Amino acid sequence: MDDQKLIDTATAIGCRMLEHGAEIYRVEETISRICLAYGAKEVDVFAIPSSIVVSVTGADGGSWTRTRRIKNQNVDLDKLDRFNNLSRVICRDRPAADWVEGEIARINAQPVYSSALQVFACALVSFFFTLFFGGDLRDASVAFAAGLAMKYFSKRLERFGLSSFLINIAASATAGAFAFLSVRFGAALHIDKIIIGTLMNLVPGLSLTNSIRDFIVGDLMAGLMKLTETLLTATGIAIGVMLALRFLGGVFGGV
Amino acid sequence: MLTGFILPCLYAFFASLGFGIFDNIRGNKLFFAGFCGSLGWFVYLAAERLLISDIECYFWATVAISLFAEFAARLQKVPATLYLVPALIPLVPGGGVYYSVEAAILGETERAASLGLHTLGIAGALAMGIITVTSLMRLYNVLAARRRLRRPASAPR
Repeated sequence: MDDQKLIDTATAIGCRMLEHGAEIYRVEETISRICLAYGAKEVDVFAIPSSIVVSVTGADGGSWTRTRRIKNQNVDLDKLDRFNNLSRVICRDRPAADWVEGEIARINAQPVYSSALQVFACALVSFFFTLFFGGDLRDASVAFAAGLAMKYFSKRLERFGLSSFLINIAASATAGAFAFLSVRFGAALHIDKIIIGTLMNLVPGLSLTNSIRDFIVGDLMAGLMKLTETLLTATGIAIGVMLALRFLGGVFGGV
Repeated sequence: MLTGFILPCLYAFFASLGFGIFDNIRGNKLFFAGFCGSLGWFVYLAAERLLISDIECYFWATVAISLFAEFAARLQKVPATLYLVPALIPLVPGGGVYYSVEAAILGETERAASLGLHTLGIAGALAMGIITVTSLMRLYNVLAARRRLRRPASAPR
Protein backbone atom coordinates (compact mmCIF):
# COMPACT_ATOMS: atom_id res chain seq x y z
CA MET A 1 0.00 0.00 0.00
CA ASP A 2 1.49 3.41 -0.86
CA ASP A 3 1.46 6.19 1.72
CA GLN A 4 -1.52 8.09 0.37
CA LYS A 5 -3.65 4.96 0.05
CA LEU A 6 -2.58 3.95 3.54
CA ILE A 7 -3.59 7.20 5.21
CA ASP A 8 -6.89 7.25 3.31
CA THR A 9 -7.77 3.72 4.32
CA ALA A 10 -6.70 4.07 7.95
CA THR A 11 -8.63 7.33 8.33
CA ALA A 12 -11.69 5.83 6.69
CA ILE A 13 -11.71 2.94 9.14
CA GLY A 14 -11.20 5.28 12.12
CA CYS A 15 -13.96 7.54 10.82
CA ARG A 16 -16.46 4.70 10.59
CA MET A 17 -15.54 3.45 14.07
CA LEU A 18 -16.06 6.91 15.55
CA GLU A 19 -19.42 7.22 13.78
CA HIS A 20 -20.52 3.86 15.14
CA GLY A 21 -19.76 4.75 18.74
CA ALA A 22 -16.11 3.89 19.43
CA GLU A 23 -14.23 5.67 22.22
CA ILE A 24 -11.74 8.38 21.23
CA TYR A 25 -8.69 6.42 22.38
CA ARG A 26 -9.78 3.36 20.40
CA VAL A 27 -10.05 5.42 17.21
CA GLU A 28 -6.68 7.11 17.70
CA GLU A 29 -4.95 3.82 18.54
CA THR A 30 -6.48 1.97 15.60
CA ILE A 31 -5.42 4.57 13.05
CA SER A 32 -1.85 4.85 14.31
CA ARG A 33 -1.43 1.06 14.60
CA ILE A 34 -2.58 0.50 11.02
CA CYS A 35 -0.20 3.18 9.71
CA LEU A 36 2.75 1.85 11.75
CA ALA A 37 2.04 -1.71 10.59
CA TYR A 38 2.64 -0.63 6.99
CA GLY A 39 5.97 0.96 7.85
CA ALA A 40 5.08 4.60 8.52
CA LYS A 41 7.82 6.32 10.52
CA GLU A 42 5.63 8.69 12.49
CA VAL A 43 1.89 8.97 13.02
CA ASP A 44 -0.06 11.72 14.79
CA VAL A 45 -3.78 11.33 15.26
CA PHE A 46 -6.17 13.81 16.83
CA ALA A 47 -9.80 12.81 17.16
CA ILE A 48 -12.81 14.54 18.66
CA PRO A 49 -16.40 13.37 18.21
CA SER A 50 -16.88 15.54 15.12
CA SER A 51 -13.53 15.30 13.34
CA ILE A 52 -10.33 13.32 12.82
CA VAL A 53 -6.93 14.74 11.80
CA VAL A 54 -4.16 12.31 10.81
CA SER A 55 -0.57 13.11 9.85
CA VAL A 56 1.75 10.38 8.63
CA THR A 57 5.46 10.48 7.81
CA GLY A 58 6.10 7.67 5.35
CA ALA A 59 9.09 5.34 5.12
CA ASP A 60 10.57 7.50 2.33
CA GLY A 61 10.31 10.67 4.45
CA GLY A 62 7.35 12.29 2.65
CA SER A 63 4.49 13.37 4.87
CA TRP A 64 0.72 13.36 4.37
CA THR A 65 -2.18 14.84 6.29
CA ARG A 66 -5.81 13.86 6.07
CA THR A 67 -8.82 15.45 7.78
CA ARG A 68 -12.28 13.97 8.00
CA ARG A 69 -15.41 15.66 9.34
CA ILE A 70 -17.94 13.43 11.10
CA LYS A 71 -21.41 14.83 10.59
CA ASN A 72 -23.69 12.42 12.36
CA GLN A 73 -23.20 9.64 14.80
CA ASN A 74 -25.30 6.52 14.64
CA VAL A 75 -24.27 3.98 17.21
CA ASP A 76 -23.93 0.55 15.62
CA LEU A 77 -21.94 -1.75 17.87
CA ASP A 78 -22.09 -4.68 15.44
CA LYS A 79 -20.25 -2.71 12.75
CA LEU A 80 -17.88 -1.29 15.38
CA ASP A 81 -16.99 -4.86 16.36
CA ARG A 82 -16.40 -5.82 12.71
CA PHE A 83 -14.18 -2.78 12.01
CA ASN A 84 -12.26 -3.54 15.17
CA ASN A 85 -11.63 -7.09 13.97
CA LEU A 86 -10.70 -5.84 10.51
CA SER A 87 -8.10 -3.48 11.96
CA ARG A 88 -6.64 -6.35 13.95
CA VAL A 89 -6.37 -8.49 10.81
CA ILE A 90 -4.82 -5.56 8.91
CA CYS A 91 -2.12 -5.03 11.54
CA ARG A 92 -1.32 -8.76 11.64
CA ASP A 93 -1.37 -9.71 7.94
CA ARG A 94 -0.80 -6.37 6.15
CA PRO A 95 -3.18 -7.26 3.27
CA ALA A 96 -3.34 -5.46 -0.09
CA ALA A 97 -5.35 -2.24 -0.47
CA ASP A 98 -8.00 -3.83 -2.71
CA TRP A 99 -8.82 -6.51 -0.16
CA VAL A 100 -9.16 -3.92 2.62
CA GLU A 101 -11.46 -1.76 0.51
CA GLY A 102 -13.63 -4.78 -0.26
CA GLU A 103 -13.88 -5.61 3.43
CA ILE A 104 -14.85 -2.02 4.33
CA ALA A 105 -17.62 -2.10 1.72
CA ARG A 106 -18.78 -5.49 2.99
CA ILE A 107 -18.99 -4.23 6.60
CA ASN A 108 -20.85 -1.09 5.54
CA ALA A 109 -23.44 -3.32 3.88
CA GLN A 110 -24.11 -5.31 7.06
CA PRO A 111 -27.79 -5.27 8.08
CA VAL A 112 -29.33 -3.17 10.84
CA TYR A 113 -32.54 -3.94 12.71
CA SER A 114 -35.66 -2.83 10.82
CA SER A 115 -37.45 0.40 11.76
CA ALA A 116 -40.46 -1.56 12.98
CA LEU A 117 -38.32 -3.56 15.39
CA GLN A 118 -36.64 -0.37 16.64
CA VAL A 119 -40.03 1.22 17.30
CA PHE A 120 -41.03 -1.93 19.18
CA ALA A 121 -37.77 -1.86 21.17
CA CYS A 122 -38.50 1.73 22.20
CA ALA A 123 -41.93 0.66 23.45
CA LEU A 124 -40.35 -2.28 25.29
CA VAL A 125 -37.82 0.00 26.99
CA SER A 126 -40.62 2.43 28.00
CA PHE A 127 -42.71 -0.43 29.39
CA PHE A 128 -39.96 -1.91 31.54
CA PHE A 129 -38.51 1.38 32.73
CA THR A 130 -41.95 2.49 33.95
CA LEU A 131 -42.16 -0.72 35.99
CA PHE A 132 -38.54 -0.22 37.04
CA PHE A 133 -39.28 3.23 38.46
CA GLY A 134 -42.27 1.89 40.41
CA GLY A 135 -45.22 2.37 38.06
CA ASP A 136 -47.95 -0.30 37.97
CA LEU A 137 -48.98 -2.41 34.98
CA ARG A 138 -51.51 0.15 33.71
CA ASP A 139 -48.85 2.90 33.77
CA ALA A 140 -46.48 0.59 31.93
CA SER A 141 -49.07 -0.20 29.25
CA VAL A 142 -49.64 3.50 28.64
CA ALA A 143 -45.88 3.99 28.48
CA PHE A 144 -45.69 1.16 25.93
CA ALA A 145 -48.14 3.01 23.66
CA ALA A 146 -46.37 6.32 24.29
CA GLY A 147 -43.03 4.71 23.37
CA LEU A 148 -44.46 3.34 20.12
CA ALA A 149 -45.90 6.74 19.15
CA MET A 150 -42.77 8.64 20.19
CA LYS A 151 -40.31 6.53 18.21
CA TYR A 152 -42.58 6.33 15.15
CA PHE A 153 -43.05 10.09 15.17
CA SER A 154 -39.36 10.89 15.59
CA LYS A 155 -38.42 8.40 12.85
CA ARG A 156 -40.80 10.26 10.52
CA LEU A 157 -39.33 13.63 11.53
CA GLU A 158 -35.75 12.42 10.98
CA ARG A 159 -36.50 12.15 7.27
CA PHE A 160 -37.04 15.91 7.05
CA GLY A 161 -33.51 16.53 8.25
CA LEU A 162 -34.50 18.50 11.35
CA SER A 163 -31.86 19.02 14.02
CA SER A 164 -31.85 16.51 16.84
CA PHE A 165 -32.71 19.29 19.31
CA LEU A 166 -36.05 19.94 17.56
CA ILE A 167 -36.73 16.22 17.14
CA ASN A 168 -36.18 15.75 20.88
CA ILE A 169 -38.66 18.51 21.66
CA ALA A 170 -41.28 16.93 19.40
CA ALA A 171 -40.66 13.39 20.67
CA SER A 172 -40.79 14.29 24.34
CA ALA A 173 -43.89 16.43 23.78
CA THR A 174 -45.54 13.32 22.32
CA ALA A 175 -44.60 11.29 25.39
CA GLY A 176 -45.78 14.05 27.72
CA ALA A 177 -49.11 14.35 25.89
CA PHE A 178 -49.72 10.59 26.08
CA ALA A 179 -48.97 10.52 29.79
CA PHE A 180 -51.11 13.58 30.54
CA LEU A 181 -54.16 12.46 28.56
CA SER A 182 -54.11 8.91 29.91
CA VAL A 183 -53.93 10.11 33.51
CA ARG A 184 -56.47 12.90 32.93
CA PHE A 185 -59.00 10.44 31.51
CA GLY A 186 -58.34 7.73 34.05
CA ALA A 187 -56.39 5.13 32.06
CA ALA A 188 -53.43 5.28 34.45
CA LEU A 189 -52.39 6.81 37.76
CA HIS A 190 -48.77 7.95 37.91
CA ILE A 191 -47.96 10.61 35.33
CA ASP A 192 -44.35 11.11 36.48
CA LYS A 193 -43.55 7.38 36.24
CA ILE A 194 -44.94 7.18 32.69
CA ILE A 195 -43.09 10.28 31.56
CA ILE A 196 -39.67 9.35 32.91
CA GLY A 197 -40.11 5.70 31.85
CA THR A 198 -40.79 6.74 28.27
CA LEU A 199 -38.17 9.47 28.24
CA MET A 200 -35.45 7.02 29.32
CA ASN A 201 -35.24 6.32 25.58
CA LEU A 202 -34.05 9.88 25.00
CA VAL A 203 -32.33 11.12 28.16
CA PRO A 204 -28.58 11.54 27.77
CA GLY A 205 -27.37 9.67 30.84
CA LEU A 206 -24.90 7.65 28.82
CA SER A 207 -23.37 10.63 27.06
CA LEU A 208 -22.93 12.37 30.43
CA THR A 209 -21.11 9.29 31.76
CA ASN A 210 -18.97 9.04 28.62
CA SER A 211 -18.16 12.74 28.77
CA ILE A 212 -16.81 12.39 32.31
CA ARG A 213 -14.91 9.29 31.21
CA ASP A 214 -13.28 11.35 28.45
CA PHE A 215 -12.39 14.11 30.95
CA ILE A 216 -10.73 11.63 33.29
CA VAL A 217 -8.62 9.94 30.61
CA GLY A 218 -7.52 13.36 29.30
CA ASP A 219 -9.61 13.82 26.12
CA LEU A 220 -10.80 17.22 27.29
CA MET A 221 -12.18 18.44 23.96
CA ALA A 222 -14.24 15.29 23.48
CA GLY A 223 -15.48 15.55 27.06
CA LEU A 224 -16.54 19.17 26.63
CA MET A 225 -18.38 18.42 23.38
CA LYS A 226 -20.30 15.52 24.92
CA LEU A 227 -21.11 17.55 28.04
CA THR A 228 -22.57 20.32 25.89
CA GLU A 229 -24.53 17.77 23.89
CA THR A 230 -25.89 16.30 27.13
CA LEU A 231 -27.13 19.66 28.36
CA LEU A 232 -28.69 20.52 24.99
CA THR A 233 -30.49 17.18 24.75
CA ALA A 234 -31.80 17.39 28.31
CA THR A 235 -33.00 20.95 27.71
CA GLY A 236 -34.80 19.91 24.53
CA ILE A 237 -36.53 17.04 26.31
CA ALA A 238 -37.58 19.17 29.28
CA ILE A 239 -38.92 21.90 26.97
CA GLY A 240 -40.94 19.33 25.00
CA VAL A 241 -42.55 17.81 28.08
CA MET A 242 -43.34 21.20 29.59
CA LEU A 243 -44.89 22.41 26.35
CA ALA A 244 -47.20 19.40 26.23
CA LEU A 245 -48.15 19.56 29.91
CA ARG A 246 -48.76 23.32 29.92
CA PHE A 247 -50.78 23.30 26.71
CA LEU A 248 -52.93 20.28 27.58
CA GLY A 249 -53.23 21.46 31.18
CA GLY A 250 -54.62 24.74 29.86
CA VAL A 251 -57.12 22.95 27.62
CA PHE A 252 -58.30 20.09 29.89
CA GLY A 253 -57.41 21.35 33.37
CA GLY A 254 -54.71 19.92 35.62
CA VAL A 255 -54.35 16.35 36.82
CA MET B 1 -37.05 -11.14 47.49
CA LEU B 2 -39.24 -11.28 44.38
CA THR B 3 -40.26 -7.63 44.30
CA GLY B 4 -37.06 -6.41 45.96
CA PHE B 5 -34.49 -8.17 43.79
CA ILE B 6 -35.74 -10.43 41.01
CA LEU B 7 -38.34 -8.21 39.35
CA PRO B 8 -36.16 -5.07 39.13
CA CYS B 9 -33.34 -7.18 37.67
CA LEU B 10 -35.78 -8.60 35.12
CA TYR B 11 -36.88 -5.07 34.16
CA ALA B 12 -33.24 -4.03 33.85
CA PHE B 13 -32.62 -7.06 31.60
CA PHE B 14 -35.31 -6.00 29.13
CA ALA B 15 -34.32 -2.33 29.26
CA SER B 16 -30.72 -3.22 28.35
CA LEU B 17 -31.98 -5.62 25.70
CA GLY B 18 -34.04 -2.85 24.12
CA PHE B 19 -31.06 -0.52 23.99
CA GLY B 20 -29.02 -3.38 22.53
CA ILE B 21 -31.49 -3.38 19.63
CA PHE B 22 -31.04 0.40 19.13
CA ASP B 23 -27.29 -0.15 19.08
CA ASN B 24 -27.61 -3.01 16.57
CA ILE B 25 -26.13 -5.76 18.73
CA ARG B 26 -26.93 -9.02 16.98
CA GLY B 27 -27.44 -12.67 17.85
CA ASN B 28 -26.75 -14.15 21.26
CA LYS B 29 -24.63 -11.11 22.20
CA LEU B 30 -27.94 -9.30 22.69
CA PHE B 31 -28.82 -11.65 25.54
CA PHE B 32 -25.37 -11.28 27.08
CA ALA B 33 -25.91 -7.51 26.99
CA GLY B 34 -29.27 -7.88 28.73
CA PHE B 35 -27.77 -10.19 31.33
CA CYS B 36 -24.95 -7.73 31.95
CA GLY B 37 -27.53 -4.99 32.55
CA SER B 38 -29.44 -7.04 35.12
CA LEU B 39 -26.16 -8.05 36.80
CA GLY B 40 -25.34 -4.36 37.31
CA TRP B 41 -28.69 -3.65 38.89
CA PHE B 42 -28.41 -6.76 41.10
CA VAL B 43 -25.05 -5.57 42.45
CA TYR B 44 -26.50 -2.10 42.99
CA LEU B 45 -29.40 -3.49 45.03
CA ALA B 46 -27.09 -5.74 47.04
CA ALA B 47 -24.67 -2.87 47.72
CA GLU B 48 -27.57 -0.69 48.82
CA ARG B 49 -28.07 -3.04 51.79
CA LEU B 50 -24.47 -2.59 52.91
CA LEU B 51 -23.46 0.95 52.00
CA ILE B 52 -24.93 4.30 52.94
CA SER B 53 -24.20 6.50 49.93
CA ASP B 54 -25.91 5.60 46.66
CA ILE B 55 -22.90 7.00 44.77
CA GLU B 56 -20.75 4.20 46.19
CA CYS B 57 -23.38 1.65 45.15
CA TYR B 58 -23.27 2.99 41.59
CA PHE B 59 -19.49 2.66 41.62
CA TRP B 60 -19.51 -1.01 42.65
CA ALA B 61 -22.31 -1.86 40.24
CA THR B 62 -20.27 -0.35 37.40
CA VAL B 63 -17.16 -2.24 38.49
CA ALA B 64 -19.18 -5.48 38.31
CA ILE B 65 -20.55 -4.62 34.85
CA SER B 66 -17.13 -3.62 33.52
CA LEU B 67 -15.50 -6.82 34.81
CA PHE B 68 -18.22 -8.93 33.20
CA ALA B 69 -17.96 -6.93 29.96
CA GLU B 70 -14.15 -7.23 29.83
CA PHE B 71 -14.15 -10.99 30.43
CA ALA B 72 -17.05 -11.69 28.08
CA ALA B 73 -15.37 -9.49 25.46
CA ARG B 74 -12.12 -11.41 25.86
CA LEU B 75 -13.87 -14.77 25.45
CA GLN B 76 -15.78 -13.67 22.36
CA LYS B 77 -13.05 -11.41 20.93
CA VAL B 78 -15.26 -8.29 20.71
CA PRO B 79 -14.70 -4.78 22.13
CA ALA B 80 -15.94 -4.49 25.72
CA THR B 81 -18.03 -1.45 24.71
CA LEU B 82 -20.46 -3.87 23.08
CA TYR B 83 -21.67 -5.05 26.49
CA LEU B 84 -20.81 -1.96 28.48
CA VAL B 85 -23.03 0.51 26.59
CA PRO B 86 -26.38 -1.30 26.93
CA ALA B 87 -25.60 -2.63 30.42
CA LEU B 88 -24.96 0.87 31.78
CA ILE B 89 -28.41 2.05 30.70
CA PRO B 90 -30.31 1.05 33.88
CA LEU B 91 -27.64 2.77 35.98
CA VAL B 92 -27.06 6.02 34.06
CA PRO B 93 -28.61 9.07 35.70
CA GLY B 94 -30.91 9.99 32.81
CA GLY B 95 -33.71 10.86 35.20
CA GLY B 96 -31.38 13.08 37.21
CA VAL B 97 -30.26 15.04 34.14
CA TYR B 98 -33.88 15.50 33.10
CA TYR B 99 -35.21 16.54 36.51
CA SER B 100 -32.40 19.02 37.12
CA VAL B 101 -32.92 20.74 33.77
CA GLU B 102 -36.67 20.75 34.41
CA ALA B 103 -36.08 22.49 37.75
CA ALA B 104 -33.78 24.99 36.05
CA ILE B 105 -36.45 25.82 33.46
CA LEU B 106 -39.06 26.27 36.21
CA GLY B 107 -36.72 28.71 37.93
CA GLU B 108 -36.11 26.51 41.00
CA THR B 109 -32.40 27.22 41.03
CA GLU B 110 -31.55 25.55 44.33
CA ARG B 111 -33.29 22.29 43.49
CA ALA B 112 -31.66 22.35 40.03
CA ALA B 113 -28.23 22.80 41.58
CA SER B 114 -28.60 20.05 44.17
CA LEU B 115 -30.11 17.59 41.67
CA GLY B 116 -27.47 18.53 39.10
CA LEU B 117 -24.58 17.98 41.50
CA HIS B 118 -25.96 14.63 42.64
CA THR B 119 -26.36 13.62 38.99
CA LEU B 120 -22.78 14.63 38.25
CA GLY B 121 -21.69 12.56 41.23
CA ILE B 122 -23.46 9.48 39.88
CA ALA B 123 -22.03 9.97 36.39
CA GLY B 124 -18.58 10.44 37.93
CA ALA B 125 -18.98 7.22 39.93
CA LEU B 126 -19.93 5.32 36.78
CA ALA B 127 -17.01 6.79 34.84
CA MET B 128 -14.58 5.96 37.65
CA GLY B 129 -15.92 2.41 37.85
CA ILE B 130 -15.32 1.84 34.13
CA ILE B 131 -11.90 3.45 34.18
CA THR B 132 -10.75 1.49 37.25
CA VAL B 133 -11.48 -1.81 35.52
CA THR B 134 -10.12 -0.87 32.09
CA SER B 135 -6.92 0.51 33.64
CA LEU B 136 -6.37 -2.67 35.67
CA MET B 137 -6.95 -4.74 32.53
CA ARG B 138 -4.43 -2.67 30.59
CA LEU B 139 -1.89 -2.98 33.39
CA TYR B 140 -2.37 -6.75 33.39
CA ASN B 141 -1.91 -6.87 29.60
CA VAL B 142 1.30 -4.85 29.74
CA LEU B 143 2.73 -6.97 32.55
CA ALA B 144 1.78 -10.20 30.75
CA ALA B 145 3.40 -8.98 27.53
CA ARG B 146 6.59 -8.08 29.40
CA ARG B 147 6.75 -11.48 31.01
CA ARG B 148 6.42 -13.12 27.59
CA LEU B 149 9.29 -10.97 26.26
CA ARG B 150 11.57 -11.79 29.17
CA ARG B 151 11.12 -15.53 28.78
CA PRO B 152 13.46 -17.12 26.18
CA ALA B 153 11.68 -18.13 23.01
CA SER B 154 12.71 -21.80 23.27
CA ALA B 155 11.46 -22.29 26.82
CA PRO B 156 8.31 -24.38 27.18
CA ARG B 157 5.22 -22.44 28.14
